Amino acid sequence: MKYTRRLFGLGNIYDTKASDELFALAMRENARFQYDNCADYRRILDEFSFSPDMIRGTDDLARLPFLPTLYFKHHDLFSLPDSRMLIRATSSGTSGAMSNVGFDLKTLAFGARMVINVGRYHKLWSPVPTNYIIFGYQPTKTNKTAVSKTALGFTFFAPAKSRTFALEITKNGYELSWERVTDALKLASRSRFPLRTIGFPAYTYFLLRDLKARGVTYKMPPGSMVTLGGGWKQFYAEQPDKKEFYALVRDVLGIDEDHVIEFFGAVEHPILYTDCRFHHFHIPVYSRVIIRDPDDFSPVECGRAGLINLLTPMMQSGPLLSVMTDDLGILHDEGCPCGAPSPWLEIIGRVGISDVMTCAAGAQEYLKEQS
Amino acid sequence: MILYRGKLYDNSRQSELIASLRDDLYAPLRCGGTLSPQTVINACDRLMRRVLDGEFDSVIKPFLNAFNVSEAQFNDMTALFSKEGLEYKCAVELCDGEKVIDGRIIRKRYPLGALLHIAAGNVDALPAYSVIEGLLSGNINVLKLPMGDSGLSVLLLYELIKEEPALSDYIYVFDVPSTETATLKALADLCDGVVVWGGDAAVKAARTMADVDTKIIAWGHKLSFAYAEPDASDAELYALAKSICDTNQLLCSSCQGIFVDTDSKETQRAFARRFFEILKAANENSRPADYGMRAKNAINLYNERLERHATGSEILKEGAVSVIIAEDETLSLSYLYRNVWVKRLPRERLYTLKKYKGCLQTAAVLTRDRETREEIARTLALIGVVRITSGGNMSRTVRGEAHDGTYALREYSRIVETELFPPSKSS
Repeated sequence: MKYTRRLFGLGNIYDTKASDELFALAMRENARFQYDNCADYRRILDEFSFSPDMIRGTDDLARLPFLPTLYFKHHDLFSLPDSRMLIRATSSGTSGAMSNVGFDLKTLAFGARMVINVGRYHKLWSPVPTNYIIFGYQPTKTNKTAVSKTALGFTFFAPAKSRTFALEITKNGYELSWERVTDALKLASRSRFPLRTIGFPAYTYFLLRDLKARGVTYKMPPGSMVTLGGGWKQFYAEQPDKKEFYALVRDVLGIDEDHVIEFFGAVEHPILYTDCRFHHFHIPVYSRVIIRDPDDFSPVECGRAGLINLLTPMMQSGPLLSVMTDDLGILHDEGCPCGAPSPWLEIIGRVGISDVMTCAAGAQEYLKEQS
Repeated sequence: MILYRGKLYDNSRQSELIASLRDDLYAPLRCGGTLSPQTVINACDRLMRRVLDGEFDSVIKPFLNAFNVSEAQFNDMTALFSKEGLEYKCAVELCDGEKVIDGRIIRKRYPLGALLHIAAGNVDALPAYSVIEGLLSGNINVLKLPMGDSGLSVLLLYELIKEEPALSDYIYVFDVPSTETATLKALADLCDGVVVWGGDAAVKAARTMADVDTKIIAWGHKLSFAYAEPDASDAELYALAKSICDTNQLLCSSCQGIFVDTDSKETQRAFARRFFEILKAANENSRPADYGMRAKNAINLYNERLERHATGSEILKEGAVSVIIAEDETLSLSYLYRNVWVKRLPRERLYTLKKYKGCLQTAAVLTRDRETREEIARTLALIGVVRITSGGNMSRTVRGEAHDGTYALREYSRIVETELFPPSKSS
């Protein structure tokens, strides 16, 4: 896995052009490994008459057969024995079924290097002790959802002075306590140390809206940060306009827009996408995105909407190198004032929701053009 | 939104109003009042005219667009509420007038009493329609709105009461969530019948909720299909394909797939290929299917392709349209939005569909020969299909038609026999 190791060592995390060749080599290396070690994957590639050696450059990646997340929900695909998996994670199961993914030592090592590099670029690392409030689940041995694991993971970017979970485990299962959260917010606002919140955008939004309605506002210490991850899930319809959301954060917590950071990733594609200060998800060197026309899966050009296909050679444990999500999105390459050179991904909604057009302002035109 | 004795209330008043329902619900019984179908018909007719005049367009138009309802379909629907439509319906369904038996017993239809309607969320005006059927049969109606109701049903019923204030004692609407089972049970206890629309889960929930002394009238989800001879004409197949595109296979009466009268894989395959070309042509001549649904099905069908080694299916796909050549002979839901299956089922095995007794509804029969058609239609009727049509008419609306094989108004009625006062000796 020498190419993959080199790829995940790249510190210039948004220079995708310069890493294209290395990315393709790492993908070929991974495809070969998966082909040799996962019978089901080998069958699929054979059926498509595709051989890993056919990957010679990034242009060939669109021809590599992708696997939909739906397939992972019905089949456990592993290329390594159970004993090699150090961590297991499942998707959150928004639509019922869950994908089951394992992480071996090598994969975790790649992931760790990626997190170090991404954290450095986005200035997430800090030596200052921090109060964390997690709008999500307290992780336990039985809760295997990746969201609970990554949420906990984020509390290591800066040393934790305290950690408060909105959903804490009790003897009756998970219980949500707004009171615990509001108490923690009050304490944090009086602390000398910064606050970081972590959680689903929807939970964060509902809490802040609730606080505002009750006339509760805070001024959080300098350096405080609101971090969001996990997408809007079943709350798509209630998603506010981004500007409105940032205004709400400023009003209720006294935290400015440039300290609101959103992450994006999936169990089947555990790459840390982090939005820039213009709130764009630039593609990091560890990943590539192909937007495909739903009618024939042909890649569409930047600026056009389609299905989001995510690629990465990071995962050793199973054939997750080209995954088709259930999301629709647009790739933008018009240049971003933040200076990151790679295109950015706009997620406009989930497939199969008829009012998908309401999910993001601006998406309507793109969809009209194509339907 | 709550509608109670002709007035609208906020949901926050729910528990208070449900508590007073115990006294108010039977108000018409206290004064011995009856509701004549003609009163209901006249009110519906007046309201329907206001709808056609565009008075409610701001509410109705978005719903028509959301469900891809064409103007012709909308006109068909409104015609059901017209004076002619409703009078015809009553004439068919309530045809048994008062009868005198042996000169001393009067046999007469009465309303069941009070009905609790648990409406489904898939068709927007359906909750109101269900209540109107209850009114036509003379019942007092309590409507539980479906989750995410757009408010159209409450609006229509509120306006209906404005047209005919006498209806205010016969219509109650509550927005109780399905999870509040205790409240729903309390409502069901007050009623003689529970009318439930929706899938198996909804029907099961109603059955567990209602006491044994409460009648359950279930309008469950249905599946419809086409049965074709391999030599069915292109014209009939096109008509079928067009109705598949027009309804996006979303209705109970929409075609989910085609059973071909054959044992031969080759014949099945040839038929499927022919139908695929026809479906593509029909799709070209229809409004494009919803983009998000097309994207969802693209993934479903790709996944189907990855599973092919286990299922043995063959997939024909182009753009939004697909035909799956399947190996099984089950009646199953398709992927919807212009994606159908084609399965082999020789005529002598048609009876095996009997096992779907609860969910059979419409079957189109596509043959060139009248005798064959009649023979197939007879078998289909025997196994439980209730509407047998040509390819293009699967989802047509017909005045006075039965609902899933029965007349709703009769289901909401009971027959009462009353002995006449004994004639006096002197006469």
